[in-house]
Amino acid sequence: MTAFVIVRGVYNTPVLRDQESMASRALEQFLSSVEKRAFKIAQLGLRNDDDALDAVQDAMMKLVQSYAARSSEEWRPLFYRILTNGIRDMQRRRTVRGRIMAWLPMRDAEDDEEFDAVAQAPSADPTPARRLELDQAIGTLETAIAELPPRQQQAFLLRNFEGLDVRETASAMGCSEGSVKTHYFRALENLRTRLGDVF
Amino acid sequence: MSQDFERRTREVLEESTARLDGRTLSRLTRARHAALDQAHRPLRKRWRLYIPAGAAAVALAVILWVGGSRPVAEPGPVDDMDMLADSDAPVFAEGDDLEFYEWAADEIET
Repeated sequence: MTAFVIVRGVYNTPVLRDQESMASRALEQFLSSVEKRAFKIAQLGLRNDDDALDAVQDAMMKLVQSYAARSSEEWRPLFYRILTNGIRDMQRRRTVRGRIMAWLPMRDAEDDEEFDAVAQAPSADPTPARRLELDQAIGTLETAIAELPPRQQQAFLLRNFEGLDVRETASAMGCSEGSVKTHYFRALENLRTRLGDVF
Repeated sequence: MSQDFERRTREVLEESTARLDGRTLSRLTRARHAALDQAHRPLRKRWRLYIPAGAAAVALAVILWVGGSRPVAEPGPVDDMDMLADSDAPVFAEGDDLEFYEWAADEIET
């Protein structure tokens, strides 16, 4: 009983509460800084908005559950390691189910839900012509990335889009730095071959 | 040339990310809050979740311990009396064998 009171007393000290609050704020800032790009990476890997959101949420949960106490410098490679593992697991489950999504068009999640005028409102854009040009570039690039082999896709997105260095990318992908360089080089070659005229 | 291509693809992906619709952004925010909420849940309260399971385990252990250590009941004098008083077994109280049965009962008790 005495021990319980002492432990409880220490836990409730303002110093520990402040540390807990700071760590929580740091985690929130980190998750907030990566969530959009993480969603985009998951979306390109899974070609389904709902699955992509599930993968990102799972990665957030696991990071907070298991690695919140690690230093904040470790969070990014750890988070993307969890996310890429989650994406890979989803892809494998689909393969087992015989759902070959590569030949299907990207499913529009809005088809399944009610129309939301606010969500669908167009963002402010300089000119319609510029917007159309970007629309086409985005569509072409995302299709080409989505059709890359999974490891090339991961290497390209983590290195080029998320900005991880080779060591962090190797940690996130669970492979050697040499493999990262190979996958990234091949991804660039594949994309250049497909998009050379457009980009 | 290669760096231009990498830069261009990165810009297009950034533009695509900036265009995420409100519904997706809202769901990402909810996902983040859900993840952080579990971190905010104080450790000192989490142990309470294990109380029912712990109590059940302790109760089961006590039941098994008490039940397992209970000695098997051996026939005692009361059981002998029941047998002798049983109308279906009059043979025990008849004839010249009564002394033998008394001797056998003494042997069992000793």
